[in-house]
Amino acid sequence: MVVERDHHGFDAPAPLGHPGRAGLPEGHSTGPEIGQRLPEFTLPSADGNPVDYHADRAGRKSVVVFYRSAVW
Amino acid sequence: MVAKFFHDSYKKRDSPELYIDAALGQLTLDENAPQATGGDQDINLTVAVHGGKGTVRQGVVRHLVVRFELPDGLHIYGPPVPDGMIATTVTIEGPEGFMVMAPELPATEKLTLPGIAELNVWHGTVDLIYPFYATGELASECRPLDVLSIDIKVLVRYQACTDQECLLPRTETLTLSLDLDVIDIPAIDLHKGHGQREANYDGTAALKRLLARKIKQNPLGVPVFLAKTLWLQMGALLRKLSR
Repeated sequence: MVVERDHHGFDAPAPLGHPGRAGLPEGHSTGPEIGQRLPEFTLPSADGNPVDYHADRAGRKSVVVFYRSAVW
Repeated sequence: MVAKFFHDSYKKRDSPELYIDAALGQLTLDENAPQATGGDQDINLTVAVHGGKGTVRQGVVRHLVVRFELPDGLHIYGPPVPDGMIATTVTIEGPEGFMVMAPELPATEKLTLPGIAELNVWHGTVDLIYPFYATGELASECRPLDVLSIDIKVLVRYQACTDQECLLPRTETLTLSLDLDVIDIPAIDLHKGHGQREANYDGTAALKRLLARKIKQNPLGVPVFLAKTLWLQMGALLRKLSR
């Protein structure tokens, strides 16, 4: 596979234009803003148990992270 | 929501420590990450890297923190300042591919002195934050690292004053040595030869599960995806050959 560098200067093992390298379209919403409350949602945990975001954190602070590939 | 991080590329992402700082509303420097100190008997100046133990890798945002600890009565200036006074400035020099983003500076306080325009000052403990990351030129994830560490020069210029008098302006140059992080790539054919280091875990089983799930969700999606990938790959190969 050919490695190409994108306009941000990043390399990835996929050619430019590959769907896996696509960014968010220009002007697309990035979700709630600072000061707003996140919507109600429930998602399965790693064990498959449903987690009600607002109910289960019970007022505690939390960090919500959306990412593609777990490279840190 | 008290803080939000969003980047213009999926390759750019913040160190987890930065999220924790935002949630807690405080910055806790890692004593094991690279630090350099300056200042004098009155002023403590520390330059430190925050996040990921101070390592560098493509796209991952760490913080370079310039911390002043000023004794009671002393302040330093934020821009703009009147002629003849020195605003605090920080210049960071690194190798090609070391990218410094817009600084995150704390709010200044207004200070009004007789006969002088309103001044913007910081006092107490002041953290000037300079987010940075590496591009592929410095730390590609698709080839072995050229070097294992880099030196970063941080030039800090400032002038500390009381309400009555000023100390001489100071310029300090502090150097940090930062290690580059090695990225493991799963040992599957798709990635072979393109990682900094081929990991000792086989990602084939995970890839098969992913493909099975995708086919189940949309049987036509996978062949279309593969055809598009092949098409793009041919284009990339032609671009490479024409260079």
